Amino acid sequence: MRFGMVIDLQRCVGCGACAFACKAENTTRDRDAEDGQSFNWADFVMKTEGTFPNTKHWVMPVLCNHCSEAACVEVCPVKPNKAMYKTPEGITLHDPSLCIGCRECQTACPYSHEELDAASLSGETYSVISFNGRYKPLHPKWEDGTALIAGGTASGAETAKKAGVAVPAMNEYESKDVGPLRKKRIVEKCTFCAHRTLNGLQPACVEVCPSEARIFGDQDDPNSAISKVLAAKQSFVLKPEAGTRPNVFYVGKYSARS
Amino acid sequence: MKLTRRSFIQFSAATACLLAAGCSTTVMRPVSAAMIPRRANGSSAPKGEWIGSTCQGCTQWCAVQIFVQNGRAVRVRGNPLSKTNHGYCCPRGHLITQQVYDPDRVKVPMKRTNPVKGRGVDPKFVPISWDEAMDTVAEKMMELRRANEGHKFMYMRGRYSSTSTELLYGTLPKIFGTGNYFSHSALCAEAEKMGPGLTQGFFGYRDYDLAHTNCLVVWGLDPLASNRMVPNTIHYFHEIMARGTIIAIDPRLSNAAAKAQEWLPLKPGTDGALAGAIAHVLLTEGMWNKEFVGDFKSFWGGFKAGKTVGEDEFEEKETHGLIKWWNLELKDRTPEWAEKETLIPAEQIVRVARAMGKAAPKTIVWMGPGAAMTPRGTYAAMAVHALNGILGSIDVEGGVWQSSSVPIAKFPKPDKYVDEVAKTASKGKKLDGRGAKDMPAMMGGKPGSGVVTNNVANGLLKDPGAIKVFMSSWSNFNFSATGADRWDRAMAKVPFFVHMVTNASEMTQFADIVLPATFNSAEGWSVITNMGNGHGYASLQQGAVKRLWDVKQEETEVMWLLAEKLKQKGFANLFDYYSKEFKDPETGKHPTNALEFSIIAAKMSSSSLWMPKEPVKGDAPLKGWDDYRARGMFSGPKYTLKKGWGGKFNTVSKKFEFYSETAKKGLLEHAKKYETSVDDIMAVSGYVARGDVAFVPHYEPPKRHGSEAEYPFTFIDYKSRLNREGRSANLTWYQEFKKVDPGDVSWDDVLKMNPADGAKLGLKTGDMVRVSSTTGSIVARLRLWEGVRPGTVTKCYGQGHWAYGRVASEDYGKKARGANNNEILVDDYDRLSGATARNGGFTGVRIQKVAV
Repeated sequence: MRFGMVIDLQRCVGCGACAFACKAENTTRDRDAEDGQSFNWADFVMKTEGTFPNTKHWVMPVLCNHCSEAACVEVCPVKPNKAMYKTPEGITLHDPSLCIGCRECQTACPYSHEELDAASLSGETYSVISFNGRYKPLHPKWEDGTALIAGGTASGAETAKKAGVAVPAMNEYESKDVGPLRKKRIVEKCTFCAHRTLNGLQPACVEVCPSEARIFGDQDDPNSAISKVLAAKQSFVLKPEAGTRPNVFYVGKYSARS
Repeated sequence: MKLTRRSFIQFSAATACLLAAGCSTTVMRPVSAAMIPRRANGSSAPKGEWIGSTCQGCTQWCAVQIFVQNGRAVRVRGNPLSKTNHGYCCPRGHLITQQVYDPDRVKVPMKRTNPVKGRGVDPKFVPISWDEAMDTVAEKMMELRRANEGHKFMYMRGRYSSTSTELLYGTLPKIFGTGNYFSHSALCAEAEKMGPGLTQGFFGYRDYDLAHTNCLVVWGLDPLASNRMVPNTIHYFHEIMARGTIIAIDPRLSNAAAKAQEWLPLKPGTDGALAGAIAHVLLTEGMWNKEFVGDFKSFWGGFKAGKTVGEDEFEEKETHGLIKWWNLELKDRTPEWAEKETLIPAEQIVRVARAMGKAAPKTIVWMGPGAAMTPRGTYAAMAVHALNGILGSIDVEGGVWQSSSVPIAKFPKPDKYVDEVAKTASKGKKLDGRGAKDMPAMMGGKPGSGVVTNNVANGLLKDPGAIKVFMSSWSNFNFSATGADRWDRAMAKVPFFVHMVTNASEMTQFADIVLPATFNSAEGWSVITNMGNGHGYASLQQGAVKRLWDVKQEETEVMWLLAEKLKQKGFANLFDYYSKEFKDPETGKHPTNALEFSIIAAKMSSSSLWMPKEPVKGDAPLKGWDDYRARGMFSGPKYTLKKGWGGKFNTVSKKFEFYSETAKKGLLEHAKKYETSVDDIMAVSGYVARGDVAFVPHYEPPKRHGSEAEYPFTFIDYKSRLNREGRSANLTWYQEFKKVDPGDVSWDDVLKMNPADGAKLGLKTGDMVRVSSTTGSIVARLRLWEGVRPGTVTKCYGQGHWAYGRVASEDYGKKARGANNNEILVDDYDRLSGATARNGGFTGVRIQKVAV
């Protein structure tokens, strides 16, 4: 069993549905611009190239690559069991109960930054690992008790209270690994939707893609859709030179003109 | 913000990867002990229920499902039964959970305590009960009836339900008595309908056989992002890319343009010239569709540039007036001529025309608002749509279709509840000025029949006493209408305004009473009909999610409460209509409260599907209301081809009209009303056509407000793929992923300018600039971007809310985040349709750097 994902860039239209489904499924919080944490387990890089009218534009969905030689796991200093670890299915998973918040994983990951700057807002950089600070509220939006119009409009805290959960649209599920809510002073990242994929479901980003650009499955099964696509089409990974052996692959060209 | 320790993931690296060879997927043993796997600690999949609902984030009204846990909305997906969206929604649908739990939602009715009204003036709203709110509204309305001034009541609808709208828009003005009720529709679409309307008699949105087309021309729209059928287009786009040609005609590098084989970034507003040249090439190269259009009688016949053709030389089949069109317009529209107008190289025009002709009739020319919603847009819409006529793609496989629908039960007629007072009051002149000499507004080919939404503000400014009580739902014209400041001035003069909304927006700042609306995609009850991919459908909204606040559906629940109050005050007709004529189709029980009325209305309008007299074609028969609720939707049968062929088009000639007898009839009728000529009507309405040219698709040069000397840049507006009709700027996910609109930047609202222009003006990315037109000015951050033509600048619509919520506004009630394009776009119209101009580069702007 070796989970992997293929993203077909010819199918992808860069719409954003995968990123929204990820945020909903995993109840990830809003960006902390001050500390440069995006909390986007699924994100995008995009660029416009060339000179008008020969302009080209491409988009690439990005997520944790669930590397076979995961740098984040390698550097995790927690003993005896690492907080960041590989599962038998190939998921790079995180155990929040073991995490000491040292952020070594964020430093080591070729696809992450300790702090994102403004370049991430135009799709030039991204981070697959984000860090929940030590002192800040975890979901500031839903802990804010102030109202726009006193007595007339709601507040975040009142909305959450009425909804009966910490985040009104929180996706509740049980997990002894990464659950719906994180805690302070730990990192967080894509789990390949472990709570879904280890229970027979597809990851949320795969399930919602309107162009069916994402294929998730077992690379060790030669009959799986992912194996067939990888056998048939030329694929590439991001930063192969980092030597982490990603399990997220890309096929196809985003633009017919590139 | 600190710099990171390591270098960023640079694009150079990412692109190098693109070129890198495929990587190994063979199994390798872990090289490090750290990689020795450990079982996950265990988890269970989320538990909940997918409940059918309908997204109304754009005009497609997709059938969706909401994943509900304990009454809470958690996630959204397309309804798997949908034949239109294939079980997927576009990114807008996923924003439903953010919108329903927007912390800035209005949670209770409010009343104004500050009598002073104006932009930036705090209304000093205080919460009140529904009883007090409705009592106040009913009393104000009754004052009008007592004074025989029913016509001074006005209702304007924004987003609505296609069925429930009949209970407010279709009923309240009639029974209460006023002619002043207006739809929002002319703000964003109506000119588009004139293209198919005046050529094939179909004044509606087309459907497209994307599954079978070999050439897709997206003209003046970005269907991967907006317009309609977004999930359907996303579904088929890559297939069409692989098997055929996609051609994007858009002055801006849109999502479709980014992916397409051909991008034609024409000079804004010259769509009619490009369409004429493509038609010219198709005809001179003999690439018209013989089966649809017909042929020359003689083997020697043909179209030669600059040469007229005798009308008797050609025998048409399904069309009317091809030779007239050629002689009046097309013969001189060579690609070389068009290059000068459109700035698109002649060889690209020829190449694209040939690709279109070669794939015909499986060629789709999908015309959108970019081509049509301009001051002379009717003719551009006709010119672009008429290409489908030449290509023979009308109503054929792989072509352009008319709409589909499913049968919906009509509500009982309210006629017997309409008294004499109401009848008299309904007859007054409408405030939107439709049918004036310079505003033919001939939707359906009938002069004076089209709504001129944006002109209502002018009507209010001209005659401030015309409206005393104004009610509106799910609208925000102070933000969404061009010349937005007119609405600020007009609304300040309306004595009593009732706003039914989810958020206290700009328009709400002028309200006397605010009624909190349900967020209908999650909380409302109604049946929503629409179509796409060859299927009509009826999708349910069924209160999937528990309401957190004291909110009510505006078209049903609020109307019930209003009817009760009017009855208490001596006017029972509305209540009698709702309470006596409406009954549960299953139990025969009449509604006794607001929510029951809402649910019964939904049951009644859909009863034609789940308890039909005769079996309904389409999906497997529904076993009843519960079955309909469980499925959440019903789709009709696949579209029948060649509907209009054989002389069945709904035009005057019953043919597809290249020479529009339909336009001619309407224009002659309008001219007759004012005892003048069609030429005079053309002149006063701002069109350049004279004589018979007024009746054929043709090129009208772009109208531009502001001289090129004073306003050297042409401004173009576009829609975000995340815009839920201008309502999503308050959502953090919208801000966080704004970058999914090409050229845009998250948490910002950038004006895009070509780098060559930036160099000339000494401007750079990140500069703050003032963008000024003849109407107003806005300030935005500049981004130099190669996706826009030199001389043209562009910015997305949707941000610049000075009131809506704490994300959309930097300082609620005072300062916006970003800038609203409608503050610089000029109040102008395509007067033949009554549509508001918002595209085609009709607004010239000046760009100046401002100190931060």
